[in-house]
Amino acid sequence: MEGLLRSEEMTLCQMFLQSEAAYTCVSELGELGLVQFRDLNPDVNAFQRKFVNEIRRCEEMERKLRFLEKEVKKDGIPMLDTGDNPDAPAPREMVDLESTYEKLENEMKEVNANAEALKKNFLELTELKHILRKTQTFFEEAMHDPSMSDETMGLLGEELPRSGQPLRLGFVAGVILRERIPAFERMLWRACRGNVFLRQAEIESPLEDPVTGDQVYKSVFIIFFQGDQLKTRVKKICEGFRATLYPCPETQAERREMAIGVMTRIEDLNTVLAQTQDHRHRVLVAAAKNVKVWFIKVRKIKAIYHTLNMFNLDVTQKCLIAECWCPVADLDRIQQALRRGTERSGSSVPSILNRMSSKQIPPTYNRSSKFTQGFQNIVDAYGVANYREVNPAIFTTISFPFLFAVMFADMGHGMIMFFAALYIVLKEKQFGARRIEDEIFKTFFEGRYIILLMGAFSIYTGFMYNDIFSKSLNIFGSQWFAPAEPFSLATLSEFKKLQFNPNETYTGSPYPIGLDPVWQMAQNKIAFTNSMKMKLSVILGISHMFFGIALSLLNHRYFQKPLNIICDFIPSLVFLFCMFGFLVLRIFHKWVAYDSSMSQKAPSLLIGAINMFLFNYRDEHPDNPEVYHIPGSLQGFQCFLVVVAGLCVPWMMFFKPFYMRHQARFGQFKHQPLSVQSGDLLNHDHDFDNDQEVVHNNDTSGHLHQEEEQEEPFDFGEVFVHQAIHTIEFCLGCISHTASYLRLWALSLAHAQLSEVLWSMVLRIGFSSSGVGGAFMLVIVFMFWACLTVAVLVLMEGLSAFLHALRLHWVEFQSKFYSGTGYKFQPFCFDQILDHSADD
Amino acid sequence: MFPELSFNIDHGYLEGLVRGFKSGILRQSDYLNLVQCETLEDLKLHLQSTDYGNFLANEPSPLSVSVIDDKLREKLVIEFQHLRNHCLEPLATFLDYMTYGYMIDNIILLITGTLHQRPISELISKCHPLGSFEQMEAIHIASTPAELYNAVLVDTPLAPYFIDCILEQDLDEMNIEIIRNTLYKAYLEDFFNFCKGMGGGTAEVMCEALAFEADRRAFIITINSFGTELSKEDREKLYPRCGKLYPDGLEMLSQCEDYDQVRTVADYYAEYKELFDDAGTNPGDKTLEDKFFEHEVKLMKNSFMHQFQFGVFYAYVKLKEQEIRNIIWIAECVAQRHRAKIDSYIPVF
Repeated sequence: MEGLLRSEEMTLCQMFLQSEAAYTCVSELGELGLVQFRDLNPDVNAFQRKFVNEIRRCEEMERKLRFLEKEVKKDGIPMLDTGDNPDAPAPREMVDLESTYEKLENEMKEVNANAEALKKNFLELTELKHILRKTQTFFEEAMHDPSMSDETMGLLGEELPRSGQPLRLGFVAGVILRERIPAFERMLWRACRGNVFLRQAEIESPLEDPVTGDQVYKSVFIIFFQGDQLKTRVKKICEGFRATLYPCPETQAERREMAIGVMTRIEDLNTVLAQTQDHRHRVLVAAAKNVKVWFIKVRKIKAIYHTLNMFNLDVTQKCLIAECWCPVADLDRIQQALRRGTERSGSSVPSILNRMSSKQIPPTYNRSSKFTQGFQNIVDAYGVANYREVNPAIFTTISFPFLFAVMFADMGHGMIMFFAALYIVLKEKQFGARRIEDEIFKTFFEGRYIILLMGAFSIYTGFMYNDIFSKSLNIFGSQWFAPAEPFSLATLSEFKKLQFNPNETYTGSPYPIGLDPVWQMAQNKIAFTNSMKMKLSVILGISHMFFGIALSLLNHRYFQKPLNIICDFIPSLVFLFCMFGFLVLRIFHKWVAYDSSMSQKAPSLLIGAINMFLFNYRDEHPDNPEVYHIPGSLQGFQCFLVVVAGLCVPWMMFFKPFYMRHQARFGQFKHQPLSVQSGDLLNHDHDFDNDQEVVHNNDTSGHLHQEEEQEEPFDFGEVFVHQAIHTIEFCLGCISHTASYLRLWALSLAHAQLSEVLWSMVLRIGFSSSGVGGAFMLVIVFMFWACLTVAVLVLMEGLSAFLHALRLHWVEFQSKFYSGTGYKFQPFCFDQILDHSADD
Repeated sequence: MFPELSFNIDHGYLEGLVRGFKSGILRQSDYLNLVQCETLEDLKLHLQSTDYGNFLANEPSPLSVSVIDDKLREKLVIEFQHLRNHCLEPLATFLDYMTYGYMIDNIILLITGTLHQRPISELISKCHPLGSFEQMEAIHIASTPAELYNAVLVDTPLAPYFIDCILEQDLDEMNIEIIRNTLYKAYLEDFFNFCKGMGGGTAEVMCEALAFEADRRAFIITINSFGTELSKEDREKLYPRCGKLYPDGLEMLSQCEDYDQVRTVADYYAEYKELFDDAGTNPGDKTLEDKFFEHEVKLMKNSFMHQFQFGVFYAYVKLKEQEIRNIIWIAECVAQRHRAKIDSYIPVF
């Protein structure tokens, strides 16, 4: 019980590890994952620490592995994840690993360089092939285009006689990225003043860029121009736009010959390329088998050296000194791990684990199973508990799904939720192994047990409210009946609505469990359920808050603060009882003492509560015996309650600060903790070996100890203000929190109404028509209804109810006892380190 | 009516983002650690613990300063591109304006390079990626400014700035410098007017920043022109006319003949007087350039005090550039084992 209620008892330990055994010991501790090391050299730069070279080597290895992984992924080779978890290799094996990776990387780089060169060659040849093919069509078009040839002829004809020599049009042909064509064309036009002629054609199939391996689309172009000056200029532009130019013979025969040559060379190249690829593939497949394991090994080594960097070196350089937090209960296991580590390293001198005492606040370590983990996360999200403070997670496992279910009360929706969660729970091993990265699924997966319980409790509350998809189940038979006397068939058929008098149409014994199904049909169903649900939520809320206050008693007793019991716990308990506990009693009284025959005389709870605080006991109708009168003795008691509640406020506000000032002045109780819920352990019995601790590490962590030794001077103003704020917060909180619990009713009402609307507006349409058409209609309408039910009612409403339940726990419940200002125990654990680095 | 009211609808996300980026800028304590580094590997290790994270993780050792420079710049460019890709008007135009300055530098770099017969591919790798544009690589076809304009620049956003330069006859060293400064002048004035037109906080912050930029250029042009064949009239034409020096200060600057006269001009302006007073050429003193950088950093930091304006984007890029200069300076000092001057970086925060 104690283990679940409070976090583990922790202790600060000192470890003396032989230099040669330190590595293996830390490795064992990493596998164990129960020790949180403290950084003993916080002032030393990352690059000035002892093992920085080893870490650098690890990083270099990681880089090589990442490179290999990238190459493996590029080729789409599956990486074998056997899930085995090798121990961290010994330091001397690091050299082997390094050389292995080095070799692989170099081999890979060589293969890549070869492949790149080959691919570049291949690309050039393919481009040339395309050029030859496309230019062929350009030239052919030019031949067969009569208008064009006519024009050229005309032009040439004019010019020929004058110059006396044939006009030679030069041309260049090349390949360019398709998206650069427009700018290229424009630039050509501008730079050459329109004196060039550009033809271009797209290459349909994408080509592979040899450097990046991307598929790129390119176009073939051919530019005609006249004269050398233009030629240099065109070439410069081509260079500027990274177009590759290829020689293109002028006559058709030469072109054909060249094309044939190119084709054969491409074929040759293809075989060589295939062989290179094959080789690359073989290397990668071999590497892919081990990459994951290698990663684990390297990361473990790196983690170990990181940890070793936090250690202190002994004066003699023979051993390393570490300080760590560890749970007291696991000290034996840690000792064993150290022994194993020492044995493995072959060192003769054992490693020593020393418990130390410290005034520092230890970290909070709550052990949790896969079942409680989700609930613990809910609590931790608000704030990590102080060391040894009552941990509300264990109560949350039940109260959270229950409060959720009160708001989500519907058997049908609860079942959907329950079975969905059950599926995930039953398949959790498979799902867990698949490591799905999707964030939404992860959230659901991690909260699977919460959802399971929420579903189960919703079924229960739905059963109590007798609500299944907004309909009722008539299992035991309604306890209401319509006697034949006033409700003859004739009257029944004549009137649409009839009023039942509970005194005549009710059997007198209630429906065995839950709500009578007859209310489902009643016109005043909402009025009835509202009144009932409202009272229920007040009762649940007040008891939840009482429970919270009771837990604060456990805290005060554990931390031995009797003053807090007298000045905080008792007045707040009394205050809450006087204000609202009495209201709860009156609710029960009204339920039990009044039945339908006396409904006229039943007291109004709301007016009664208001009058109680106003001391207003005037009789409005002194002569009317039908109206409820508060009996005189109760009047006196109510006045007493209000006065007591009023007295609680100064009691809470003033008593403690003044008492503490008194103590401070007269010198007793020096060590009494000052703050209300600080939860520190100053007054425990570990003062005896403080000196020893300081001797061990006075050189590095001296400042920490100075911090510890400081004694807080008593500051009356601060304590008083703190206490005043606490009092005001609590008193106002009582009222606003009670009102806040009414959300249990409001959300339940909203949920019930929404599902009723969905039923009457959607599914009923499906039932309205008969025959074959009606059947089809029903199928379609049902589909709509089912989708809306899951999406809106289960998912959205579920989320909303979840958030409200979360709020009720964080704000209304935990504020009564939980300070949540601790810090979490973060053990040095390989599993976590590997998980995290796998995420990156 | 109140642009602040609707600012967050369009630009709130990016402003938040850039303020987040800003909090990743290295602090004084980081620099103190960096200057203790013995090797570039140490530098890499320390940068890993800052916002730069694993930006060097995939680089095989040994590292070189140029690799670090490339990676630092690449990171800035990625961040800037991210901002540019997610922004809406008028922020998009504003960010585009910021890139024009880099474009001018790139053009000048390429022209100078081609004058010295360097291969274009070697020059391209030296260009700042923020200022790259499609026609950039074909710049070497131009041999006169007119050609440059007609063939290359007419499609770029720089075209309107270039109109004043077309008259120049030849592309030689001197003319290129004149082209650079004329372009810069036109660019700064245009950017200044754009920001002024935006109104509100943007105008307030950016006009201050651009005015300083303009004045700095005016001072530097003047100081650099001593001993060259640039005439006073030509020099006056190069001064950007949007700073605090305009018009009287520029008038006086154009008449200056040596450094002391420039200093006298600066004495009329409180903020510049301070910079000139503290600057010196003795060892241990900060140079005027450094003082200008320091003043710029101060201005840029102040711009983060204003909400709902675009100045933060400009300021972030400028601060980040300063940071890159600092890291590179330290890296160079570390690499060359020349630790005497390692402390003359300009801390940002």
